[in-house]
Amino acid sequence: MKLSRISALLAAVAMAGGAQAQDLLFPPGEDDRFNWSSYEELKSMDLAGETISVFGPWLQTDKEFVENTIDYFEAATGAVVEYSGSDSFEQQIMIDAEAGSPPNIAVFPQPGLANNMAARGYLSPLGEETAEWVRNNYAAGQSWVDLGSYQNPDGETELYGFFYKVDVKSLVWYVPENFEDAGYEVPETMEELIALSDQIVADGETPWCIGLGSGGATGWPATDWVEDLLLRTQPPDVYDGWVSNEVKFDDERILSAIDLFGDFARNEDYVAGGAAAVASTDFRDSPQGLFSSPPQCYMHRQASFIPGFFPSDVEVGVDADFFYFPAFEGLDLGRPVLGAGTLFAITKDSPAARAFIDFLKSPIAHEVWMAQKGFLTPHMHVNVDTYSDHTLKSMGEILLNATTFRFDGSDLMPGAVGAGAFWTGMVDYTGGTEASDVAASIQATWDTL
Amino acid sequence: MEQVLMAVATILVGVFGCVLYFYLSNQVLDAIFPGRGPNAGRNINTASAIRPWLFMGPAILLLSVYLVYPVFNSLWLSFHDATGDNFVGVDNYVWLFGDEKFLESFRNNMMWLVVVPAASTGFGLLAAALTDRIRWGNFAKSLIFMPMAISFVGASVIWKFIYDYRGEGVTEIGLLNAIAVALSGVAKGWITIEPLNSFLLMVVLIWIQTGFAMVILSAALRGIPEETIEAAVIDGASPLQIFFRIKVPQIWGTIAVVWTTITILVLKVFDIVLAMTNGQWGTQVLANLMFDWMFRGSDSGRASTVALVIMVLVTPIMIWNIRNARREMQ
Amino acid sequence: MDSIAGTRSQLVWVVNISVIFLVVLWIVPTGGLLVSSFRDRDQIAVSGWWTSMLSSEANVRIRSEAPDTQVDENGIYVISGNVFGDESGEVIAFGTSSRAPTAYLPGEHGEMSKGRTMVVEANGDYRIESPEPHSGSRGSRIFFRTIEPPRFTLENYEKVIFAERLGQSFLNTFAVTIPATVIPILVAAFAAYALAWMEFPGRAILIAAVVGLLVVPLQLAFIPLLKLHNSIGIGKEYLGIWLAHTGFGLPLAIYLLRNYIAGLPREIIESARVDGATDFDIFRRIVLPLSFPALASFAIFQFLWVWNDLLVATVFLGNNEQQLVMTGRLRELLGSRGGDWEILAASAFVSIAVPLVVFFSLQRFLVRGLLSGSVKGG
Repeated sequence: MKLSRISALLAAVAMAGGAQAQDLLFPPGEDDRFNWSSYEELKSMDLAGETISVFGPWLQTDKEFVENTIDYFEAATGAVVEYSGSDSFEQQIMIDAEAGSPPNIAVFPQPGLANNMAARGYLSPLGEETAEWVRNNYAAGQSWVDLGSYQNPDGETELYGFFYKVDVKSLVWYVPENFEDAGYEVPETMEELIALSDQIVADGETPWCIGLGSGGATGWPATDWVEDLLLRTQPPDVYDGWVSNEVKFDDERILSAIDLFGDFARNEDYVAGGAAAVASTDFRDSPQGLFSSPPQCYMHRQASFIPGFFPSDVEVGVDADFFYFPAFEGLDLGRPVLGAGTLFAITKDSPAARAFIDFLKSPIAHEVWMAQKGFLTPHMHVNVDTYSDHTLKSMGEILLNATTFRFDGSDLMPGAVGAGAFWTGMVDYTGGTEASDVAASIQATWDTL
Repeated sequence: MEQVLMAVATILVGVFGCVLYFYLSNQVLDAIFPGRGPNAGRNINTASAIRPWLFMGPAILLLSVYLVYPVFNSLWLSFHDATGDNFVGVDNYVWLFGDEKFLESFRNNMMWLVVVPAASTGFGLLAAALTDRIRWGNFAKSLIFMPMAISFVGASVIWKFIYDYRGEGVTEIGLLNAIAVALSGVAKGWITIEPLNSFLLMVVLIWIQTGFAMVILSAALRGIPEETIEAAVIDGASPLQIFFRIKVPQIWGTIAVVWTTITILVLKVFDIVLAMTNGQWGTQVLANLMFDWMFRGSDSGRASTVALVIMVLVTPIMIWNIRNARREMQ
Repeated sequence: MDSIAGTRSQLVWVVNISVIFLVVLWIVPTGGLLVSSFRDRDQIAVSGWWTSMLSSEANVRIRSEAPDTQVDENGIYVISGNVFGDESGEVIAFGTSSRAPTAYLPGEHGEMSKGRTMVVEANGDYRIESPEPHSGSRGSRIFFRTIEPPRFTLENYEKVIFAERLGQSFLNTFAVTIPATVIPILVAAFAAYALAWMEFPGRAILIAAVVGLLVVPLQLAFIPLLKLHNSIGIGKEYLGIWLAHTGFGLPLAIYLLRNYIAGLPREIIESARVDGATDFDIFRRIVLPLSFPALASFAIFQFLWVWNDLLVATVFLGNNEQQLVMTGRLRELLGSRGGDWEILAASAFVSIAVPLVVFFSLQRFLVRGLLSGSVKGG
């Protein structure tokens, strides 16, 4: 009698926590763009009464989106997933793991930290089956497997990170009607892009808005520029060597990429506000110049998330659009794409946590977020029509059509370099320090590690 | 409603548990060694030998666990590598003293240590002295105190609106540049100009800490017995003379306390530097360097080494405080 | 006598003016944040907060009505409307292209592509004429210069105050803050008394140790202490965070209180001892009431510190829905990449309210009224 009452109570609690099929964002079976059969398949996992804690960096709208997506897992399996987000994720996950109270699943905003934690034995390997799945179902699958594979404390390499939610960085944002007013064409090659920049200067205007400010992370937007330019001036293996420090930071080839960035950012005529304003302008404020009247600048190179910082009346796809940050025609290096992404890893193993990773493999887990906002995926078996707008869809296509996809290099370098010396170095460089001095000092930091 | 009850209950348990300990432990001590009866004399002596430790027991326990233990832990870590697994001898110390950023931080910290405590205490004393003489003093005090109540994140946004720089030809949203443009026509990227930028960051901390100094010093000033001042007034001393010759010497101890506290805070504070420059443009300080190595570099060995340097820097202040305490006791 | 009265009133003036100067210097930065909290993000990003109080000329860009509203007026296709929508205003100049947003005066005919023309009147009425039917799905851009009245919004505060589950977080914060303020005061007051007025070996060393511990960086303590909490079963609960805040706040509390208590007049305590009072009695009856100013000032600072803390709370309490404190909840509103300064500004003023109330209510205890009385009496 008593026992049954308690179990009824527990069931009620579980019901209250878990999502019900009827309050899912897109009712199952209704919209035929979605792969509902993959949702039905999830129901074979019965996880009633299980709780999974997920800890990640997403807050506010992103948090809402991920929770809407997780709802499908909860509704199908009966598990309760508690997602919590924090802006100091990197610090907290380390503290929690070391202190012995980690969540079941951690969502890493970049691989460097996951690599570090795997090396200390805080992550559970996902297994060869998952690696095989990624290889076969993600565009450029092997590269995603490589990015998620790290050495464990015994020195063996295993897959620890499952990539889900990707950002494309090689994008240039512009206002199509400003281009029309001035008679500019979207450039197809880097040569044309530079010619266009010069044309804009000749017309008495300013081509670029560049801002490196980001509070405690000031400098990172410049690292993206350098990475993108390196991929456009050198073959990908130079990039890979650079990321692993086989190609030194003060190598000629790296220096020329830094100086190419300098051709944009240190050129008084090229940047709104002049070169001195580049380092201190906040990256979240800098796209504003595109939309002022008259425009302060015509182009802004930034990742796919930046529309979140456009003025509120700007409709992406109408008032603002993007083009692919082009490659040099003269150098035969294909269409390289720079990107970044978040990866899921198991920090406290349980069958339910494994089931959650399986959920992330199902097309529905991708499509639900695609149909919301700010989500790109390399998953080849999802319906790209579920992207909520054509801007996202064409970004997704850039991702799927890339001849070379490379992950944000500064995220792959050791934290002290990629989130320290590299940032500082680029800030110093835009301030006027020679590229060779900057690179030598970054390399010096790397050498002490 | 349930939550309110829970909150109230937890608050009551926490607070009353604490009161109960002090009350009961003293009752027990008095019951075991009663100050009456045959062994009254001996009992009183035993009890008063034990009582200080009853009084300090919880404090010592908490301090040992929450502060002393981490200090030894970091001492141990400072001789180990990034993960804390392998002993590396004095490698971390060798690295530290050869590191450019460390030397820069050390130099900057020295400047902070001179400027911030002096300015905060000075302004705090001024504010305390002046506001005590006027009718709307309490109101003025709360306005000067307000920055203390704003979180460091809030403070860094506040100062963004002061120091922000947008570049030529763009409307400035930073107040300092608006003033600069009005006066000289040229806006500047203030927080990128060395070494001025370090001082601009110090201004933020001074702005915050003046409220602290003011509150403590104002309490001390008001505690000065009226008689001493009345006597001076009768002798025909001017207000300035009264302030510097009568009042300041009497609260000298409190000024020292405020100075010490802010000095130590300067050694610890990293939020302002982290949020506004993260040590770029030559503004790095030790506490932020430690934070960087701890969480960005995930190298607990190096972070602990920097932390130990911070702790060593406080030694002169400790010695000075021991001297003061000794003098008091005599 | 006159001259003395004269200098005195002069002095009052000097003091008043200096205080006004000081106060203005101190509140201008905060004022910027306060003004910004009533502006929307687009405004904050493009103009200084000090300009927001005045009307200012500004270039504005809007989009005309869509082509499907066009009217065929004898072979001329017209789209019309008002640039101010339902509101009113005055157009100083207008333009048809981003290159020359103020090329024409009101009433002039502005050239557009494909032989179209645009007229904008001073009252904002616009008319776009075309010999061919307008095509496409969206209107043309209209650039104009106008005088913008000051514009303020309460939206930021609405967003913050009506944030989901802010109420619960508010309660959580109280459940953290009150014990984390009261417990260290009690613990420190006893210890401070012992360090100030009781004789025992090692006293000076302990005082020095307290000063030394003031400087221990909290970040060092997180991992070993959370490990400890997990291993002894406290985990991430209120008890843990109270203890943590108490531990971290104790050195300052003991240091401030000891200094104050040591400064109490020796005669009072000696005479109480002579009367046979135990140390516990002396502490309770004499020291505690006399130390109100110091207790109150430490209470203010500890309260503020705990109230505004996010780091210690997220480490020792966790940040799941049931336990999230207010700073954490407000931080969530800023989104994954931060930079919503208008929300940050509003939330700073929402969360400052309680600490200010505490400051006001404790301010009267900052005066050592009791003591001067007792000195006179003794």
